[in-house]
Amino acid sequence: MTSFSAAAPPNGDRRTPMQRLAARLEPWLYSAPVLILIVAIMLVPLALGVSYAFRDIKLLNPFSGGFVGLKHFRELASDSAFRGALINTLWWTFSSVILQFLFGLILALLLNQPFKGRALAQALCFLPWAVPSFLSGLDWAWMFNPVVGPIPHWLYALGIMSEPSNILSDPKTAMWGPIVANVWWGIPFFAITMLAALQAIPKDLYEAAEIDGAGPIERFRSITVPFLAPTMAISILLRTVWIANFADLIIVMTNGGPADRTQIVASYIFTQAFRRLDFGYASAIALVLLVLLLAYSMLIVVLRQTMLSRH
Amino acid sequence: MASITIEAITKTFGAVPVLHDIDLSIGDGEFVVLVGPSGCGKSTLLRMIAGLEDITAGEIRIDDRRINEVAPKDRDIAMVFQSYALYPHMTVADNMSYSLKLRKTAREKIAEAVGAAAGKLGLDPLLARRPKALSGGQRQRVAMGRAIVRHPKAFLFDEPLSNLDARLREQMRAEIKRLHKSIGATSVYVTHDQIEAMTLADRIVAMHGGIIQQVGNPLDLYDRPANLFVAGFIGSPAMNFVEGHCRAGVIETTDGSKVAIPEGIHLTEGQAVTIGIRPEHVRIVAGSEAGSYTARVDLVEPTGFGTIVHVRLLGQDLKIYTLERGVAVVGQPLHIALDSTRLHLFDRETTNRIG
Ligand SMILES: Nc1ncnc2c1ncn2[C@@H]1O[C@H](COP(=O)(O)OP(=O)(O)OP(=O)(O)O)[C@@H](O)[C@H]1O
Ligand SMILES: [Mg+2]
Repeated sequence: MTSFSAAAPPNGDRRTPMQRLAARLEPWLYSAPVLILIVAIMLVPLALGVSYAFRDIKLLNPFSGGFVGLKHFRELASDSAFRGALINTLWWTFSSVILQFLFGLILALLLNQPFKGRALAQALCFLPWAVPSFLSGLDWAWMFNPVVGPIPHWLYALGIMSEPSNILSDPKTAMWGPIVANVWWGIPFFAITMLAALQAIPKDLYEAAEIDGAGPIERFRSITVPFLAPTMAISILLRTVWIANFADLIIVMTNGGPADRTQIVASYIFTQAFRRLDFGYASAIALVLLVLLLAYSMLIVVLRQTMLSRH
Repeated sequence: MASITIEAITKTFGAVPVLHDIDLSIGDGEFVVLVGPSGCGKSTLLRMIAGLEDITAGEIRIDDRRINEVAPKDRDIAMVFQSYALYPHMTVADNMSYSLKLRKTAREKIAEAVGAAAGKLGLDPLLARRPKALSGGQRQRVAMGRAIVRHPKAFLFDEPLSNLDARLREQMRAEIKRLHKSIGATSVYVTHDQIEAMTLADRIVAMHGGIIQQVGNPLDLYDRPANLFVAGFIGSPAMNFVEGHCRAGVIETTDGSKVAIPEGIHLTEGQAVTIGIRPEHVRIVAGSEAGSYTARVDLVEPTGFGTIVHVRLLGQDLKIYTLERGVAVVGQPLHIALDSTRLHLFDRETTNRIG
């Protein structure tokens, strides 16, 4: 419609200004219901949450709610628990994502091979994804518990532990508990996306490479990797943002402890909001996390664009 | 360059037999075309030569060396795929040099080989592009280039032209033939297009249902098809078939007409036969003459160069291919003569050629 009027002869627009305005507004009027819905559902809560960060909102204090400016952020800057949580977040996020990705990729490569009962194997491998995160958190917490779970005894038998103890209660190793649970739980996501991408690679490329003299590793390097790269980038980006925000397993398994050693920013927000009931401070932390994740996302999107445009 | 010997090859996928007892020997520098309808097992046979399918039974030799267990890369063959199978992330030059790089060929040698192949195929201006930025015909050329840089012992082509439009296919067909003349490498070429087979082949291998029907040079297959399948497959427009029985020294067709038995052919009384007549061998004559037939014209299809005339004759929709224009008018009668030397006779039970 717009392109049509743009292509009209230059001498020709004989409509009155009112008519022209109406024509301009027409598409907006048609899309107004959806736009209003989007604004109401997505933007209003976001704006409200952001505004909390600059206000003093404590649930137990009926007189709170006033504007406090950057007070929360000044507090944050000197909050050592927050700094610890930031570092833990990095550790938690990257080790989870990298391990999920590696195991997911290996699983996808295995499931992409033809073998008997592959359909069943595929279905089984994707099962963890269907387990609610709280349930898998509880599950793993018990598995790590020497009283009811087998893992400490296995580690002891292997000589990795001097006695069967709970790694979740040892500040040095506690973070590995939720990470292991998270990896187990998140492998299927990568396996599914990678398998879909693998199956989209034309088989005759591998055959051509085989005839050209490429061995399995060379074929993986020169065909599989370039084909998977865009999918890898986007799924790693999505998972990183998601895992950085994902506190369920930590809340269930360690509740941030012992001694805040498993406290990540997301669980710290939860603690501030629902234990201390300080919504203003929690919102300020959430805002910082949002900005960090946005910056990270932009970085990856730019990386992906340059990668795609090179092809 | 090399000879390829295929001996008693059988192939089954699971329980499904696809190739039955294939024997074929391909001479050094020969251009052999495997032709047949879809699903007859041409690609499977080619892929077995390439080493992409394993061999259920039998033996394949290249230059007297058994290659059943040899990996594809060690067979020293090059293959051009129907989909071209170019590496999308590599430039044209990289696509062509990939195999040489993997073989650790010296850099100058690679550049020289790629340059020579690119020159032969007119790819010089495209060397820095990626396959995505090429037209179908250009991709086809790159696929050929990738095959020839290596100077392999044999070239295998699996329907390399079937994704091109008719004009380009004609052009590439001629180019492949020229290329083969200049390189002289042993080539096995799969197609279901009988024109491609006729024009390119030194020898055609006609296949049907996993069995070789006939092997011979193109004109042999055209002149003396060994059975009904080959007779119907080779030639365009396709051969007319008329069913009949031998009765009292002539062939009586289903509608009661009589066709003289060609000289030197002996039929037993009552034998069920199929007469094959190529449309281009049916003669249109000016008036009724001895042994001629009269038929009404059903349909006229001008093709430009010639005309295909359909008539109702011998209980059959009979096609006639004539180079003369305006001799046939729909609804008008036409006088037709069949040269007995141009008739092909087939036993209807065995489908094999008689005589
Ligand atoms: N991997 C496979 N598993 C089972 N059957 C197969 C497999 N590959 C091919 N076939 C069967 O083998 C037969 C021959 O296949 P092939 O690809 O050789 O045919 P073709 O002559 O090349 O046909 P087209 O002209 O359509 O390419 C077909 O009936 C096909 O269904
Ligand atoms: Mg095929």
